[in-house]
Amino acid sequence: MTLTIWLHEARRAGPAALLAPPAALLFAAAIAVFIRATNGSRAQAQTLLLAGLEAITPLAVAMVALTIVTRESCRELHLSLPTPHLATIGRRLGVLGAVAAVLCLAYAAVVALAGYRTGSSGVAALLVWAAPTLWLAGFAALVAAATRSTVLASSAVALVWLAEQVWASAFVGSPLLRPLFLFFTSRVGDGPGWAANRVGLLAGGLLFLAVTAAVLSKPERLLSEEDA
Amino acid sequence: MHIEIADLRRRFGRVTALDGVDLTVAGGMFGLLGTNGAGKTTLMRILAGVLPATSGRVIAGGHDLSTRAGRVAVQRRLGYLPQDLGLYPDLTPTEFLDYVGLLKGLDDRAARRRQAAELLDLVGLSDVAGRKLKGFSGGMRRRVGIAQALLGDPALLIVDEPTVGLDPEERIRFRTLLSSLADARTVLLSTHIVEDVAQTCRQTAVLAGGRVAFTGAVTDLTARAEGVTWEIVTPGPPPTDGVVVSAIARTDGTHYRVVSPQPPAPDAVLVTPSLEEGYVALMRSAAPAPVG
Amino acid sequence: MTALLAVARYEFRMQARKRSLWIAATLLGGALIVLQGDRGPRSLPVGTPAREVMGTWALLFAILMPLAYGMLLADRLVRDRKLRVEPLLESLPHAPATRLAGKYLGGIGACALPGLAALLLAAITELPKRHDPALIGWALVAFVVVTLPGIAMVAGFALVCPVIVSVPLFRVLFVGYWFWGNMLAPDFLPSLTGTLLTPIGDYGATWLLANGHTALFAGTPGFLSFLRPDPSAATAALSVAVVVLCGLIPLAAAAVVAHRSTRQTWPSKA
Repeated sequence: MTLTIWLHEARRAGPAALLAPPAALLFAAAIAVFIRATNGSRAQAQTLLLAGLEAITPLAVAMVALTIVTRESCRELHLSLPTPHLATIGRRLGVLGAVAAVLCLAYAAVVALAGYRTGSSGVAALLVWAAPTLWLAGFAALVAAATRSTVLASSAVALVWLAEQVWASAFVGSPLLRPLFLFFTSRVGDGPGWAANRVGLLAGGLLFLAVTAAVLSKPERLLSEEDA
Repeated sequence: MHIEIADLRRRFGRVTALDGVDLTVAGGMFGLLGTNGAGKTTLMRILAGVLPATSGRVIAGGHDLSTRAGRVAVQRRLGYLPQDLGLYPDLTPTEFLDYVGLLKGLDDRAARRRQAAELLDLVGLSDVAGRKLKGFSGGMRRRVGIAQALLGDPALLIVDEPTVGLDPEERIRFRTLLSSLADARTVLLSTHIVEDVAQTCRQTAVLAGGRVAFTGAVTDLTARAEGVTWEIVTPGPPPTDGVVVSAIARTDGTHYRVVSPQPPAPDAVLVTPSLEEGYVALMRSAAPAPVG
Repeated sequence: MTALLAVARYEFRMQARKRSLWIAATLLGGALIVLQGDRGPRSLPVGTPAREVMGTWALLFAILMPLAYGMLLADRLVRDRKLRVEPLLESLPHAPATRLAGKYLGGIGACALPGLAALLLAAITELPKRHDPALIGWALVAFVVVTLPGIAMVAGFALVCPVIVSVPLFRVLFVGYWFWGNMLAPDFLPSLTGTLLTPIGDYGATWLLANGHTALFAGTPGFLSFLRPDPSAATAALSVAVVVLCGLIPLAAAAVVAHRSTRQTWPSKA
């Protein structure tokens, strides 16, 4: 039963859940290859490869996550079933997370084999992509659940992602904003402050998901279709 | 499954959808009538555990729906066909039923698949069980909807406006199917199509403005129009007194059936009312009818 | 022509009424006002020419606000299918290209409203400090030169691309593209930043500044050097034309595909 329901939920999460993470990573890898092929520096290629893990994958996962939360054509039927709808959405987000995790691990391994460095080594290497992905996906899910609007949720995700890129120094320089900075590894490195930043992101992501669960447990928040 | 509803209220902001509903459903086929916006869908959603009530009590099969445990207990024995059932267009009926079956807790794969096949056969969709749902007509989609509702052999079946958009043949077939299902379970049929209730239910309730305007036997509702249902034949315009329930043009003129406390014309003749006329008579009366 | 205007008018109405457009635009515009720092328009000294002040405001808003427009327009065509109104629309006598063009124009109109409102508000809030009524006029010029072409390009891609790559994937690509193609320094990685193709309005804003500096990266040496002429009034006008034309490319492709599919299905329908 367990596997069958997960397979069903993988299908319900939609093709984007399965395609967006690999597309994000392939995109980064392709540009890195292009840079090297056009006599770009090794450092530039490495930065791009790292951005694939730390910047592009979280964005892709977040955009799919907000779609999973807002889009469901059989919502009323789901709410009448003994399986909590929250569990159903959780499984779909889980599928998305699992796909992203497997691909990021494979990507990081291939990148390392090719002689490029993508931050810390060992288990800490997971946090290069896991921490920003969890934070941004949690944020996306929360805004989507609270507003039921893909436009607002995707705009909010885009705002955070782009603002952190454009005003990176402001985020790094402020002790208040630093735990929210998604691109610490690629912009600052994995030295002092990196671990605290990752823990901050993980904690923030978990908090976002917990609040999302609380919001989604109120069925009337889900019944009315996005109209905003 | 016995259902007891007491002083049920539901508000959406400033709008009161249900305003103190008291209702008892003993079993069998029960019709819920009312105009659009009367509160039928809200009541169905509360009974299905989809929406919480603002206040009041609903006890279904001994379970209190205001508690989470009670809601889940009822949902384990529930089949629900919402008014607007969206289907997943990329699935076949077999896959859709398999998915819903899993979410209903039917863990045995062989039993689940067998049940899905039987239900698709029951609703006449065996031939298209392997076709994607995206090409299905409205009637076929409704039949998939009733098949998923019947998964797990529910003791309570709630169907909300099931015959909207169906052609006459589909509608008759659907009604017959629902009637046959009511032998072994409670079937709650919510509709604004009086004919559906007339053909299938012995007990009914009428909601108006979020309140119960009538509850009792279908024959009692019909009786509300006795002495106030008239037929007149005229080549001229329709009568202005009362509510014209039907108008059939024949060679001798148009035959009007009118619900009116007074004769709508000097030559009007009292006739035996139908359920539709009973419903109209009820809705015309300003005050809610005595419950009974 | 009547059908085109009718589609455009109703598309405009439907989108301009969406609260999410206004909330998202306010959110993004507000964030820019807060985050602008000491290089933003509020820090320009009193006496700075009105065209420079409004050029800086227009560029500032163009950093993030088009993201809201892209997110809004991304599901406009997909939505017709989802809401099952596509068969109804296809049954109407006008060509699919007319519907597409109407949606495009209506979408631009609706997205232009918050863009214009933001610039006018900025001009009005600057008035007490700078005492220059020309701010209002330059706000309108900045809107036409910087804001509107970008919206036109975003609208063209946001309407058509999600049909091919799905809405969520388009949104990812769009955000990534917006950063890479408009703001990523061209000496850091090969990018379209600083070329005539940048919908952020770099060339237009540089012309408005008229102070000898580039607004962002317009004309900075880099990848595809033939697209990086020196900023001037002429290249600003050229950039506006190129950006608008770029937005029409996906629309033209979609119209051709729709036309062909109509011709193919017509005999079987008959």
